[in-house]
Amino acid sequence: MRVSGRKEGGETRVDPWSQAWERAAAGAVAVVDCGERIPCNPCEEACTRGAIEVGEDICAPPRFDPGLCDGCGRCVAMCPGMAVFLLDRSVGNGRARVTVPYEMGEEMRAGREVWAMDGEGKPLGKARVVGAKKRGGRAGTTLVTVEVDEGWALKVRGVRDRLITLEAPLEAEAEPLKEYPLCRCEEVSGPRVGEVAAEFASLRSLRRFSRVGLGYCQGRFCQDMLRERLARAREMEEGEVGTFRVRPPVRPVKLGKLGGEDA
Amino acid sequence: MPEVLSSEVVIIGGGVIGAAAAYYLCKEGAEVMIVEEDDLAAGASGACDGFISLQTKQPGVHLELARESSALFPSLAEELDDDIEYSPCGGIMLATTAEQLKELKARAKKMKAAGLEVETLSPSDLKSRLPEVGKDVKGASYCAQDAQVNPIALTLGLAHKAQEMGATILRGTKVENIVVTNNRVREVHTSSGSIHSRRVVCAAGTGSNRIGKMIIVDIPVMPQRGQILVTEPREKMLDVILCGAEYLGTKGNIAELLPQDEEAAKLGLGFTAEQTASGNFLLGSTREFAGADAATTPEAINAIAKNAMYYLPWIKELDVIRSFAGLRPCSPDGLPILGTVKGVKGFFIATGHSGDGICLAPITGKLISELVLDGETSLDIEPLSLYRFK
Ligand SMILES: Cc1cc2nc3c(=O)[nH]c(=O)nc-3n(C[C@H](O)[C@H](O)[C@H](O)COP(=O)(O)OP(=O)(O)OC[C@H]3O[C@@H](n4cnc5c(N)ncnc54)[C@H](O)[C@@H]3O)c2cc1C
Ligand code: SF4
Ligand code: SF4
Repeated sequence: MRVSGRKEGGETRVDPWSQAWERAAAGAVAVVDCGERIPCNPCEEACTRGAIEVGEDICAPPRFDPGLCDGCGRCVAMCPGMAVFLLDRSVGNGRARVTVPYEMGEEMRAGREVWAMDGEGKPLGKARVVGAKKRGGRAGTTLVTVEVDEGWALKVRGVRDRLITLEAPLEAEAEPLKEYPLCRCEEVSGPRVGEVAAEFASLRSLRRFSRVGLGYCQGRFCQDMLRERLARAREMEEGEVGTFRVRPPVRPVKLGKLGGEDA
Repeated sequence: MPEVLSSEVVIIGGGVIGAAAAYYLCKEGAEVMIVEEDDLAAGASGACDGFISLQTKQPGVHLELARESSALFPSLAEELDDDIEYSPCGGIMLATTAEQLKELKARAKKMKAAGLEVETLSPSDLKSRLPEVGKDVKGASYCAQDAQVNPIALTLGLAHKAQEMGATILRGTKVENIVVTNNRVREVHTSSGSIHSRRVVCAAGTGSNRIGKMIIVDIPVMPQRGQILVTEPREKMLDVILCGAEYLGTKGNIAELLPQDEEAAKLGLGFTAEQTASGNFLLGSTREFAGADAATTPEAINAIAKNAMYYLPWIKELDVIRSFAGLRPCSPDGLPILGTVKGVKGFFIATGHSGDGICLAPITGKLISELVLDGETSLDIEPLSLYRFK
């Protein structure tokens, strides 16, 4: 297994995998599985929280700080090498959710059964898609979340539609894009937010009419960025555009649990 | 110096009712200004379901309004530039006791007599139309004419189209007073200045009571809270609007269909489920009189979740990502209040739509436009007059 953060020349830091594994118990976190000495740093650019650092030497493998990562998934969509995925162990029951980029043309939807693939492109087994979001990043990237046995969680690197033959994984193009969606859950792009912001002056209205912040994360990941964008677009102070109203549940929770069933 | 504006018609409230009135008035060439305290769909119209439900209406003027209104939706879907996510999907109401089923059958007959096709379905008929239902489900009634719409998109779509036809929308502007001289509305005072107008439509939802006071008229609307759970989006699983008989019981105050459970009765709990175009399930809901408090409560959230599992066992596997609450502008009998006010010329009431404002918005907008511009309406609205309560 390649371990992220191992620098060429023998310099190794704390194993970020075990950190990420622990951190994933509380929700999605990125796992950066990149040890290549290649001139590449879109992941660093993608991350708005400074969790990924490549630094001056663009060939250095990225250093990753799980403590700063909030699992937004931008780096997953941006990495041209498909070397980043999200791990979420908060579902419990020995299950984990893994979010990987998916590049094929056809639609990937929640509920679909797919093959979970390992890093060498070999099928690990069947998995059910629990979320699929079109993302900017490289054109046509969808972030697909599958729920798998915790034991596989670190092995899954991709998914394949079960109807498609399992050969020839598509080569991804190393072309970073400027505009990734501000809200990954509802795939609302920056320009769309700008359009709506031209008409509405509060964060709540922006949400009502553009659906930003209405997805799975409920604005936890995008709110700050949206507030800043909106304030800038309206030439207002950030405080003036308001905040989303936080409504329970604060994190997604199984309906059965709310209804009193033991999980 | 506050600016002095003027408009042929001022509409107070940018909810679905105000937006619909603006749209139909503009279509007739009127000059319209919407004055909205907060923002479009900031009230009940932005915190509700999208049921266009005919089978849950009471035979008589209520059903007649709903039928006329539902007939306007397909053309609205065409005319508006925003996608209002209108779907003529049909609606199912589930019975979980023999008594409920008996009542649903009796109602289906009455509806038929009133000209609305409502079928009753056996549990085996349900198999082909719904994913698995709870084991207590004894049968259901089905109305093919029931439909679904996105209420926020509808409000916005109507407002946008009105704007395109010349309407002005003042957001963040609160109506503070209405000046009446010689028994006629003359002026509307707002937080951002005065508007000269001889015609004012009150579509202020739960704020209508306050508006009434400005012209010394009691408009009896009370906020009735409804809470809803939102799940993660899923592939299409439910392609009807779905409710339980107790939903109709609490909505129409029908003794035979009221919830038996004490806690449920206190919350006014009635099961509703719809899957939106974006894939999320909206699961409802409650009917509570809790003042102007639009907070969601843990008791209601738990009760709604439990109730939803009772009707649709598989739903327990879905993640709930959010809850919200809206305040229905509730009239004493649950029917809208439409019409004029004695002694105040130029003042029109369009509110009190309770739990039906989305469904009834198009017909309300059309009737208000007729009333404001021609002084008469194509449908008799006498039974909806303010004075029926006296
Ligand atoms: C949980 C829930 C579920 C529902 N489900 C359905 C359904 O499935 N189908 C259906 O048909 N109906 C449904 N309804 C009912 C429906 O939402 C309402 O009947 C409808 O939205 C009422 O619209 P409105 O325009 O009258 O009121 P609102 O949408 O509340 O609009 C009134 C507006 O007036 C503004 N206002 C108030 N006072 C002032 C003032 N002084 N100055 C300026 N502006 C002012 C407010 O800010 C507000 O925006 C539901 C309601 C709830 C709460
Ligand atoms: S998932 Fe988000 S926060 Fe985490 S590293 Fe990637 S971009 Fe940064
Ligand atoms: S973008 Fe991907 S391949 Fe490039 S350094 Fe970052 S993680 Fe490695």
